[in-house]
Amino acid sequence: MISSNGLICFTNCLLPLEDGSLVQRDLWIDERRGTILDAQRTFFLRKERPDRVIDLKGNVLSPGFMDIQINGAYGFDFSVYDGDDEAYRQGLKTIAERIVETGVTSLVPTIITQEKSLYPKLLHLLRPLSLANSAALLGWHAEGPFIQLAKRGAHAPQFLVPAHERFASFEAVYGTDNLADQEDWLMAEGSDVDSVGVRIITAAPEIDGVMPAVDELVKRGVVFSIGHSIATTDIATHAVQQGARLITHLFNAMPQLHHRDPSIIGLLGASPHLSVPFALPPSGSSSVSHLRGGSLSRRLGTKSAQALLESPKPTSEAFDDLETPPQTPLLRATTSDLSLVKGKAADMAFERPFYELIVDGIHSHPNSVRLAYSAYPEGCILITDAMKILDPHLKDGVHEWRDGKRFVKEGDKLYLEGTDTLAGSVVTLDKCVRNFSRFTGCSLGEAIKCATFNPAKCLGIENKKGTLRPGADADLVVLDRQGNVLSTWVKGQEVWKKD
Amino acid sequence: MSTARSGQGRAAIWNMSPTPPRLIIRDSPTHVGQYIGDYIAKRINDFAPTAERPFVLGLPTGSSPIPTYKHLISLVKDGKLSFKHVVTFNMDEYVGLPRDHSESYHTFMFREFFSHIDIPPSQVHILDGNAPDLISECNSYEAKIKEYGGIELFLGGIGEDGHIAFNEPGSSLASRTRIKTLAYDTILANARFFGNDISAVPRMALTVGVATVLDSREVVVVVTGQRKALALSKAIEEGVNHLWTLSALQMHPWALIVVDEDATAELHVKTVKYFKSIERVQDEVEAIHEKLRKEGKNEPVGSME
Repeated sequence: MISSNGLICFTNCLLPLEDGSLVQRDLWIDERRGTILDAQRTFFLRKERPDRVIDLKGNVLSPGFMDIQINGAYGFDFSVYDGDDEAYRQGLKTIAERIVETGVTSLVPTIITQEKSLYPKLLHLLRPLSLANSAALLGWHAEGPFIQLAKRGAHAPQFLVPAHERFASFEAVYGTDNLADQEDWLMAEGSDVDSVGVRIITAAPEIDGVMPAVDELVKRGVVFSIGHSIATTDIATHAVQQGARLITHLFNAMPQLHHRDPSIIGLLGASPHLSVPFALPPSGSSSVSHLRGGSLSRRLGTKSAQALLESPKPTSEAFDDLETPPQTPLLRATTSDLSLVKGKAADMAFERPFYELIVDGIHSHPNSVRLAYSAYPEGCILITDAMKILDPHLKDGVHEWRDGKRFVKEGDKLYLEGTDTLAGSVVTLDKCVRNFSRFTGCSLGEAIKCATFNPAKCLGIENKKGTLRPGADADLVVLDRQGNVLSTWVKGQEVWKKD
Repeated sequence: MSTARSGQGRAAIWNMSPTPPRLIIRDSPTHVGQYIGDYIAKRINDFAPTAERPFVLGLPTGSSPIPTYKHLISLVKDGKLSFKHVVTFNMDEYVGLPRDHSESYHTFMFREFFSHIDIPPSQVHILDGNAPDLISECNSYEAKIKEYGGIELFLGGIGEDGHIAFNEPGSSLASRTRIKTLAYDTILANARFFGNDISAVPRMALTVGVATVLDSREVVVVVTGQRKALALSKAIEEGVNHLWTLSALQMHPWALIVVDEDATAELHVKTVKYFKSIERVQDEVEAIHEKLRKEGKNEPVGSME
């Protein structure tokens, strides 16, 4: 059914707002332009009201979900390119078309560490893509290759590299075109000025040459995410001061929380006492070794790097950990005045970074999820980190994987047949939202915020995506009051509806 | 009082001798809202408005009319009432406050009423407090009302000082739509909507005049809450007084005031008892009106005194 004046009013619904509240209010959209309307202005200035009114019967009308870390789905793996551009594009198309059933209306395809020569091609294929009736592909998220061997997870150790030439090393690997300034990068695709595109790089700031490159990456509009890293508190803090604004799958592929050196996880509790900006010596490699004060080698002491390389069994990031020795932070403390106002935190020299959580109940314990959320609710971003076998229609049981291996799917658990090795995540984002609300005790509206507004804000696109602000894309998902997806809308068009 | 209202089939009933405002007392603001909502719905439905002959309705803002709006909305949602052929004129708007400001009367009316009913936007009229020429804005507003043949029913509320629309104490009872400076009482009362910052409250408003309201063929006023009790007493128990502008309603031949119990706190017991006793008679009078109208007769049925 088409509205004769192209306007639609959703009524009798709960809208999740940017502060996490759910309010009963109507939403007006322009289905032709695919945007959310300022209803009052439309009424008084444009002198129109929607000809089509949709009664949502008390259900929730949320911005479409956004998944900023997903490796593949429906049998297609973003990280696998076999020389056929058309086949790859078809794979993208399939995922974009089908993922909407999980409430996702935009995603950032994620590729794990590749053989170096593949990057320029892959990243070029992952330019922003908005197809009709499909979720929007926003760009790319490159995990690796500048990551920590000791926390490599499923990444191929032989492809990991340092960044001796700092930013030049990043350009050499990803391709100069792919790291162009935001505007040039978006323009290269011939897209209109309104289009959004994002690039995320997960790297370990303690790897030689990475820290000095952060600043330049950020200047070009790339979101730098700390992950697959054993950065000490000092290094992690410094990376944030340089512009890092995200932590990749918190708790996984990083040192566990040690009270004397809380490392990356500790950024969620970053103390104003220690957050004064400080200057590092200019040389990348020496600065890092200076900062870490030998602690990295001590950390690696329990297992040699060589032993890790030779480790035959693929291990899950969640259970692959090194012992964390005590470490006294080296950051200088400040002696600022004490606050006399209750509930007001002292001025922070930097904002705490956003952090991704895989809320499948497996990759992070519900207690850990709640702990992180309690520490810093504004930074919480739900991701699936899903593998290519993600498909809500896939039945439990034994399935063929690759190289003659088979995996066993048991609900959201996925492991290699005959082992207890986790083979990745197969949870859908809508389920993460429901899980998150139950794990943390937060409201559905607050959980929705972690899959909509927070990721959009992290990527700097919260004026267009992840919000119900006037002018934003009319990417919507209708949920029942238990968070189950009933229908999904992209750019003002219904693209999926529950039977 | 009926000279300007030619061409209306019902003109004759206004020729009866003026009656004082009728007073209806209900238990709570919600019941008041239901009563007025049903009353207005009946007026509109009896009028059987068409595109050529729309029902012209005057509307207020403020907290008092909200229960009425809620009830009217539910009637529209239930399919018992439509605003497709209703034209509205609002009483007032602040000067210099952006139209999209959360406290503007445009915002109020859209949020509390217009967004929920089926009225076409082109039939909604609210004074533009940001017009470059405020005087001509006021004059053309009056002219527009005339073009539509006057207002059929004006719904109003009052302030604690007895003002109707922004006709503050001391306003001329012959006033027309114009620029008004707000009384200090009103600015203080409105500060709560502007973060308790008195300096942020607009000092001026555009408002219809007392005479604009009195010109409408029927006036219905909602008065709820103890804080309005003194104003109600001044308006109906004392004489016409420009310091309590609502009292001008005594000059109107067909006015209705609907109040809750709290608002009667300053009235004489005798007054309350009187109005409660005649409510039943009122129903009978209306039934007779109805019958006569159906029979095509327009004889006045006399006053209820």
